[in-house]
Amino acid sequence: MASIDEKLRRAVVGVAGLGGLGSNVAAALARAGVGRLIIADFDMVEAANLNRQQYFLDQVGRPKVECTVENLRRINPAVLVEAHNERLTAANVPELFAAADVVAECFDRAQEKQMIVETVLARMSPKPIVSVSGLAGYGKSNAITTRRISPRLILIGDGQSGIDTEPILTAARVGIAASHQANAIIELLVDEIKASAP
Amino acid sequence: MDVLKINGKEKEFTAGQFPATLAELLEQLGVEAATVVAEVDGDIVERENFARTRLAPGGSIELVRFVPGG
Repeated sequence: MASIDEKLRRAVVGVAGLGGLGSNVAAALARAGVGRLIIADFDMVEAANLNRQQYFLDQVGRPKVECTVENLRRINPAVLVEAHNERLTAANVPELFAAADVVAECFDRAQEKQMIVETVLARMSPKPIVSVSGLAGYGKSNAITTRRISPRLILIGDGQSGIDTEPILTAARVGIAASHQANAIIELLVDEIKASAP
Repeated sequence: MDVLKINGKEKEFTAGQFPATLAELLEQLGVEAATVVAEVDGDIVERENFARTRLAPGGSIELVRFVPGG
């Protein structure tokens, strides 16, 4: 029987998008000792991201994947990070995250969230996905929940607070959602997913 | 009266109002298909198949609606 640390060390997690969710989820998983992360984003760090994303002022203007690799290495150099500086589509998601035990959906746009959840559920069985809907705004901490929609889909969020309806995004509330997400992933890795060979 | 279980709650449809397909149900609910992942009786239905996925009374449907932000 593998110990919790061993299970996490042997685990591979895909992180799709490195904004407020992804940059924080990746950091939490690296701190937990997850062995390998496959991260993907096509964006650059902007000054406006620093209100909630896990980047630093001196990283503005550089690719998010590059900065995330750098930050994760400073947190835990034992984590293997496979970085993809590209836009994710229904065409490249299955191959890019083929090795992942679980995928974290960390996109911003609703249509992209839909795309990757649909793609993982329809074409990547038995891989689970942990997705987020509803994290904008402030306060209402306890409205953000973790729900198991079906065996392979876990949904975080309050289900309704979008950036289209809420006046603000905060590191505090986005961080609650990101921590729910990382925590749900750790639970899956420890309790449900059979560790691959070391 | 025909019933569908939507996200765990039973919804009744009066005669003639029962949606023939998943696409019709979303239209009735006023939900934009591009932001929804749907499971019918536990199986994922891809968005391109919403219009040809027929619904039967008593069916169980999970609709996950995504709002932007991340």
